[in-house]
Amino acid sequence: MSATTTAAAPVDTSPATRRHPGALAPLRWEIRKLRAQYRAKAVLIGALVLPVIVVVVIQGQSRPPKDTLFGRFATDNGFALSLLVLGFAAQWVLPLLTAVVAGDIFASEDQHGTWKTVLTRSTSRAQLFWAKTLTACGFAVIVLAVLATSTIVSSVLIVGHQPLTGLSGQTIPAAEALRLVAASWATMLPAMLGFTCLAILLSVWSRNPAVGIAAPVVIGMVMQLVGALGGVEAIRPFLLTTPFEAWHGLFADPRFTGPLTEGLITSAAWCAVCLGAAFVMLRRRDITGG
Amino acid sequence: MNDLLAVEATGVTKTFGSVLAVDDITIRVAAGEVYGVLGPNGAGKTTFLRMLFGLIRPDSGTIEVLGKSWGADGVGVLDGVGGFIESPRFYPYLTGRQNLEGLALLDGGVRPGLLEELLELVEMTDRADQKVGGYSYGMRQRLGVAASLLREPRLLVLDEPANGLDPAGIRDMRALVKRLANSGLTVLLSSHDMDEVEEICDNVTIMKRGTVAFHGTIAKLRTMAPDPGHLLATTDDTRALALAEQHPALRVTRDPEAALVVTGPTPDVSAYVAALVRNNIDLLTLTQTQTPLEALFFMLTDDTTHQTLDRPAELAELAEAAR
Amino acid sequence: MRRTILVILAALVAVIALGSAVVATSGDTSTVTRPRLERSLTTNFANQYADQARIQGRRITPASLHAKAMCDKAGAENNDVGPGGDWNCLMSWTDPEVPMPPEGYGKFELNVHSNDCYTVGSPSKLTGFLTMTDAEGREVTNPVFEFDGCFDPNGDNTPTGVVFPSLLAVASTTITPDAHGNAGVQLTCGSGAKGCAGTIAVTAGDTKLGTMPFHLAEESTQTLQLPAPVPDGAAEVTFTVQMSTGVGPPKPVTLPVQGS
Ligand SMILES: Nc1ncnc2c1ncn2[C@@H]1O[C@H](COP(=O)(O)OP(=O)(O)OP(=O)(O)O)[C@@H](O)[C@H]1O
Ligand SMILES: [Mg+2]
Repeated sequence: MSATTTAAAPVDTSPATRRHPGALAPLRWEIRKLRAQYRAKAVLIGALVLPVIVVVVIQGQSRPPKDTLFGRFATDNGFALSLLVLGFAAQWVLPLLTAVVAGDIFASEDQHGTWKTVLTRSTSRAQLFWAKTLTACGFAVIVLAVLATSTIVSSVLIVGHQPLTGLSGQTIPAAEALRLVAASWATMLPAMLGFTCLAILLSVWSRNPAVGIAAPVVIGMVMQLVGALGGVEAIRPFLLTTPFEAWHGLFADPRFTGPLTEGLITSAAWCAVCLGAAFVMLRRRDITGG
Repeated sequence: MNDLLAVEATGVTKTFGSVLAVDDITIRVAAGEVYGVLGPNGAGKTTFLRMLFGLIRPDSGTIEVLGKSWGADGVGVLDGVGGFIESPRFYPYLTGRQNLEGLALLDGGVRPGLLEELLELVEMTDRADQKVGGYSYGMRQRLGVAASLLREPRLLVLDEPANGLDPAGIRDMRALVKRLANSGLTVLLSSHDMDEVEEICDNVTIMKRGTVAFHGTIAKLRTMAPDPGHLLATTDDTRALALAEQHPALRVTRDPEAALVVTGPTPDVSAYVAALVRNNIDLLTLTQTQTPLEALFFMLTDDTTHQTLDRPAELAELAEAAR
Repeated sequence: MRRTILVILAALVAVIALGSAVVATSGDTSTVTRPRLERSLTTNFANQYADQARIQGRRITPASLHAKAMCDKAGAENNDVGPGGDWNCLMSWTDPEVPMPPEGYGKFELNVHSNDCYTVGSPSKLTGFLTMTDAEGREVTNPVFEFDGCFDPNGDNTPTGVVFPSLLAVASTTITPDAHGNAGVQLTCGSGAKGCAGTIAVTAGDTKLGTMPFHLAEESTQTLQLPAPVPDGAAEVTFTVQMSTGVGPPKPVTLPVQGS
């Protein structure tokens, strides 16, 4: 930088009234960064392509995977197959998909040492926190939508759209089954957002993207295991994995939605606790790295 | 304008666990001046500047920047403040230009054309569309300057800006800071290099282990500078050392590297050298070890000196003793 | 890294402590209960059975089956609560073309999960095997052979009141008298209400050996001594069961005498 190149020193010495960033500016910045990341694109492409492969593979099996709900119809009913994939996704795929972004979004600032870069601008920690949280949640919504659409469309196209036998033995006509399958996928959202918030907390706390991404998946699997144990059912309502099974009620006759409501409350509580803790941690933190 | 202090830090203290990083520091930077915070590694310069930017919360004390404080104005404190702490960091997966555009977004937008102007200023125009991940250290440093100026600051805070740059880079950086200062910008600069501070700054605070060791103008500092030291290698160091006893104004000691260190007023050094030659001791090398200010800096921040010297009288005494 | 491990350990301890506290204070709070299972199973089965009939080309409505079930977990002495693979359900229904066995019900084995879903294995004697032949003669999957279901964890939990009598059976396959001609016979009483009680008239050839009263709890086994020694040379012993509680073998049971 030679001092002779530019004559005009870009300095404003008058007490200029500083422009302030709008509330959406940090959000736009986060989205822009996310779009530039290879990882986020890879996850979206995976969510689009992997279900198709899984559907083709399962359809080619001679024996249906009976030990999972709807598994016994999976090889000859597209709706059952998409529900089988749903049950499988809920085990660790959904936490993983959201954690890839949410578990990284705070910790990557530590990884790149960029907290000091963004926090010396005109954006507060609170604004950045909400921008990152919204970005991570938005990504969760998008990836779930992509995964659900890809699964439902590919299984219905490849396997077919026969009437489905429900969980009370009743026969569900194809059109109704399609609506219910789509609704079931949609009911994954609250718990998935719960996992997003958990990943955010771990991301803020650990300052390490690997922990932020892997830990929610591991915690999810532990919760799944604990939830499947007999004798400790009293803690089932508090587990973040329980809402992943709330869709069962949609396929019963009469339909029951109690677990969906409870799941919504559980997920909201997890989100509130995790985000609250993460926010306090980030606000109080001394940025000494970078 | 001048009655408003650009920075007014009062009684600022910060500890990390058991480490007292900054201990009851008071620093006042007037608008329009170039202010140096000088200190050896670990003196607490970075910690102080981080507190100024709100990256670290002080344990006690207050910091006002351009009349605003974190307590009352939140992030508004940073209006009109630009700069970077240690080496500037950017998102490696974005290009230099994308990084600047993003930061501009967080600033609430920039004057049209400024971004290009700045890239030109720091000579990064042709590399601006490459990913920062592939930048050299010096390029990141220059991008850091551009990112700081993008805020069109009234106060520029730079933490050892020349650190890690090559000689040409250091020269350019100093020239730029001087030019920015001439245009009326207030600059707060940290450094561990006395030369740099002497060259650029009007006022200086020398820090030592979190405390203020000296506080005043460069001019004042100059008057307190001790005599320069010389590194002397001769054909017969032992005899040369013995000969030194006839020159009471000099202090001659043996350096670990078998050379002699000669400290004292320049005329006495000349006389001593002449005496050596007269005694058939040939000079192999004679080099100045430190500039006077450097010598003072080492004296002030030497860990064996446990006094805090912010009063000229005390300092003069010390300088006298060193003679 | 050490900090991370410590915090994770602390979190695990906290979770386990919290979990055990919740479990300790709440006791048996499983949503898997007998009434819910009985209600869900009958509906589910009726639908599946009607489906099976449709495949066979018959027209049966689920309601016409009047399915009734009585479920039991892991024997009479255990509470009928909680998930597990040890649930048994006795179920009766009316299909004119497939009469119930004498005891009036079939036995279904259930594997119930903590998520309120279950898998049912049906008695193949009554409902057929894995595959069946449809109306057009093709091999198709039998929907009743094995099926899944889920019930509402907040659903009606008042007892259904359905009970089936216990089924008494003679478990011994031979009579083995000792040196004095004394012999015993083993009886079992299956699951059902109130257990099994009644009398058994014992004859060896033409000789009446007398009658034995019996009283067995539900799901228990008991060995009764014959009222009189078995005469030398008798080839077989016949038991004629008269039930006062429960269901017994409708015809007299004849067992060969093992030579002494
Ligand atoms: N995050 C931290 N945790 C513990 N101690 C710290 C931390 N940051 C700084 N310190 C300590 O505080 C003191 C001051 O450090 P600081 O980085 O402010 O020094 P500095 O003057 O900037 O030094 P340098 O010239 O090396 O940049 C040092 O003793 C350092 O070890
Ligand atoms: Mg430093």
